[in-house]
Amino acid sequence: MRSMIPWLAAAALTLTGAANAQQRIPIGQLNDFSGATSDVGVPYGQGVADALAWVNAQRQGVAGRPLNVLAVDYGYQAPRAVSQYQAWARDRVVAIQGWGTADTEALTRFVTRDRIPYISGSYSAALTDAGGRSGRQGVEATPYNFFYGPSYSDALRGMLTWAAEDWRRSGRPGRPKYVHMGANHPYPNSPKAAGEALAAELGFDVLPAIVFALTPGDYTSQCLTLRSQGANYAYLGNTAGSNISVLRACQTAGVQVQFLGNVWGMDENAMKAAGAAANGVVFPVRTAVVWGQDAPGMATMRTISRGSDPTGNVYRPVHYLAGICSAMLTVEAMETAAANGGEVTGPRIRDGFYARQNWVPRGFEGVCNPSTFTAEDHRGTLRVALYRAVVTGDTSGGSVAELMAANTMRLEPVTTIDLPRRPDWLGW
Amino acid sequence: MSAMTPAGDYRTSYRADMTIMATRNSRIALALGIALACAAPFVLDGYMLDLLVMIGIFGIAALGLNILVGFTGQISIGHAAFFGFGAFASAYFHEHGVAVVIAIPLAGIATAVVGLVFGLPAARLKGLYLAIATLAAQYILEDFFARAQWFTGGVAGRMTESPTIAGWVAGRPESFFYVVIVAVILMFGAAANLMRTRDGRALVAVRDHYLSAEMMGINLAYYRMLSFGIASFYAGIAGALYAHYRLFVSVEAFTILFSIQFLGMVIIGGLGSIAGSLMGAAFMVLLPEVVEGLANLLTGSAIDRALRLGASISFLREMAIGAAIIVFLVFEPDGLARRWRLIKAYWKLYPYSH
Amino acid sequence: MDLTLLLPLVLNGLIVGALYGVVAMSFVLIYKASQVVNFAQGEFLLVGAWVCWWFLTDWQMPFWMGFLFTLAFMTCFGIILQVVVLRPLIGEPVISVIMATVGLSIFFQALMKWIFGVFAKPFPPIFSAQSVDIAGLQVQPVYLLSLGISLFIMAGFGWFFTASKHGLAMRATAFDQQVAQSLGISVPKVFAMSWAISAVVSAVAGVVVGVVNGVSSALSFYGIKVFPAVILGGLDSVVGAVLGGLVIGVLENLAQYLDAEWLHWGNMYAIAPFYALVIILMIKPYGLFGTRNIERV
Repeated sequence: MRSMIPWLAAAALTLTGAANAQQRIPIGQLNDFSGATSDVGVPYGQGVADALAWVNAQRQGVAGRPLNVLAVDYGYQAPRAVSQYQAWARDRVVAIQGWGTADTEALTRFVTRDRIPYISGSYSAALTDAGGRSGRQGVEATPYNFFYGPSYSDALRGMLTWAAEDWRRSGRPGRPKYVHMGANHPYPNSPKAAGEALAAELGFDVLPAIVFALTPGDYTSQCLTLRSQGANYAYLGNTAGSNISVLRACQTAGVQVQFLGNVWGMDENAMKAAGAAANGVVFPVRTAVVWGQDAPGMATMRTISRGSDPTGNVYRPVHYLAGICSAMLTVEAMETAAANGGEVTGPRIRDGFYARQNWVPRGFEGVCNPSTFTAEDHRGTLRVALYRAVVTGDTSGGSVAELMAANTMRLEPVTTIDLPRRPDWLGW
Repeated sequence: MSAMTPAGDYRTSYRADMTIMATRNSRIALALGIALACAAPFVLDGYMLDLLVMIGIFGIAALGLNILVGFTGQISIGHAAFFGFGAFASAYFHEHGVAVVIAIPLAGIATAVVGLVFGLPAARLKGLYLAIATLAAQYILEDFFARAQWFTGGVAGRMTESPTIAGWVAGRPESFFYVVIVAVILMFGAAANLMRTRDGRALVAVRDHYLSAEMMGINLAYYRMLSFGIASFYAGIAGALYAHYRLFVSVEAFTILFSIQFLGMVIIGGLGSIAGSLMGAAFMVLLPEVVEGLANLLTGSAIDRALRLGASISFLREMAIGAAIIVFLVFEPDGLARRWRLIKAYWKLYPYSH
Repeated sequence: MDLTLLLPLVLNGLIVGALYGVVAMSFVLIYKASQVVNFAQGEFLLVGAWVCWWFLTDWQMPFWMGFLFTLAFMTCFGIILQVVVLRPLIGEPVISVIMATVGLSIFFQALMKWIFGVFAKPFPPIFSAQSVDIAGLQVQPVYLLSLGISLFIMAGFGWFFTASKHGLAMRATAFDQQVAQSLGISVPKVFAMSWAISAVVSAVAGVVVGVVNGVSSALSFYGIKVFPAVILGGLDSVVGAVLGGLVIGVLENLAQYLDAEWLHWGNMYAIAPFYALVIILMIKPYGLFGTRNIERV
């Protein structure tokens, strides 16, 4: 009997080994499908989900192990995200595709402690100081937080740089006036200080911020305030849903101001909903092309899109493409972790993010913009591509795809700003 | 209560009339129940324990609201704000060097003080006026939480830590479960005893007929305020437990919907029933899980595709909460506690139940 | 004092306040007739606006037709709610009735989000004219129309309660149910009628707001804003409701003015009505025109 024990043990080891090879890799996906930011949360979450499903179907997951995607709708409520995180930590997820700023910032300490890479939909600059070197008050080291695209602050810096140039070109007299608009919430607040500081540096008059909620509503009085302040450039810090309300109210109130959207503040759906009120809004786009244009990587994008839309007719807004790029960064970092028989663990995935320079996921060339992460600096990119929403007609009839095809709505490239990698902008 | 005694009412003294546990069997059942609960972490997984912890925490808060609504007849649509105040207060105390086990009761007391302050005007209002005033209080307090950076951490919220007792850290559902059990026993025991005291009966008298109560020498304003204070104390304790369980407090959690959920717990459990508060909390915690389970069962089916169940799960949950409140009000206004008594009576009298 | 900001804000407050007044009136109607405090008043706006939007977009109806269909739908909606949910609760304590309407409010808010999504959706353009300039405020014609509709509804209410048979029956019921019943008034019918009228009038307000700002869940917030208005005016006074609505509308915008000019807190617009509400409850809980019940002890 005793002589059998080593054999049994060996057999058990082989069995578990075989099971491990087949075992699915658990990965969390936090979505906002029903909350204040669900207008953009739905296309982004759909992009992430489709990309991961495609990886499972076409590439047999990561290193032969399929991904077990645990997706949850948390309704943009940070406390719910925290309790969901605790459940995921029990399920030993190796990485999480996250979402909002409030919840991501609340979870930084947890993911750092549990060493779980967290790829957020929040581009808050506070998540970029991986080594905790910035020495800023209240900014902690965030070695496990990543995101795809320029940070909110950097995107706003890019827009302000353009705005200063735009003001000079227009030849209007005096100093331009800049105002920050958004809800009193971590996400719109995130780039506020950075933007106002740079605006002052660039010679803007910085006006007192205007608050409007993250939900749609009647913002006429805010627009009247905006008009009476005489602002020339206004940053819209919220997501598309409430920005539309502001744009429409300001159009009615006859406000003449150049609106600057944030990455989540404007998209094709919002242009359709806002109609002519959205005309002229300048905002950053994170991919090199948008749906309907062509690039080498768009073929893959279309294949992925067919996963949830077999007809291939659905128009995918910019956030869908960004969701795919973000998910593919995670997948490739996991592949790096799994290379040469390595285990797919949190720290190894994090190192996977550092393995490449000017990193474009393979198969997505010409769509996803290159990112570079280092152990000290998680600002993946400092290049801000600005587009202008152009609406030339009535948008109430027809789908987004038709309107885009008919050129009633289009996204017009404005400029691309390459910001310097200033160390004093790290984590801010 | 008479249904719980074997047959007839044999009580001959006031003392016997006031006992909490009427029979030996109910004492045994309680002891067994507690023992069984203590064994739960060895059998159940983290997910189930998490639900149980939430039931315990919400049960305490619901009990507080029940003392206000069910026993004193005052309505509050701002209970979640007091729950939130307790959570922020405890996190704040801990931030300033108070140990968690002390910060929790301290937060309860702080919340009680705030409750008394809010109860001061509330003592002069009743019925729907009070409902509207507390509704306003809910929005005002929410705004305060979002603004008071020094106290709440502002809109970004505040991180906090798990309770530690002599080196033992209650950081996981398995361990925190015991903290909650102790709190539940203490708080529910205290409430059961409160209702036997002069003050407790005075609260009930205020509810039943405030004019008669006043004529019998009960100071209405005092007892309404007291009731507000007690309710806030319970909400504060529950909120503090919540803070040190979730380890993160943010103003986003303490919305009007949360307040309404507490009221739903009280109504579904049974107005004026101590055990009912726990049952109502269990119902409210499990309801969304059941809804989600049902939606998951239908995943991929034609119904799912037609109704977009998967993407709408949070709306379905909210609808279930609203529907549950209405259904209970219309069909079972005395709540689960009455149903439970009927079931017990049925088995006690079996086979001669009528 | 910056009058270029103040005047448009006050004007905006009056326009929005007139809408608050209409909603407050329909709230008071239910309270007067059936002693029910309706926490689901905002959902009447929400449901009405969404249903109208649905008729206009999915069914491609012309506006007048969709609007009439909406009114018919809301009539049935109000009656069904009263009969199914509120009638069984007659005689129950006030807490139960309040909670039932709170339950209705949550239920319909979630239902509308489920059916129509969470984004604001614009109505198809109804008026070709762009905005009109009044005292420096660009006003959409529909806003002027809304002011007109509000005044029309208010006049209608005045006539209804003083001259029409049903209105008098309703007042009699509000005064004393038993006496009304003995005079041959069907009290259940009066209750149902009050809910139907209230639902219809609120839906009109909902459609107006929807045409101006787009339809979204924000409409249900009108149901909350109505409380400061009715408490100020007195819970059972129609005139008070109108005045209360106007005052609250202007107050909101004055708060925004204070905020923009001096305070810079950012949230006064949304929160000021609630401070006003608490203060009114402290000093004059029966409002300006309300019946003086012994509600304070």
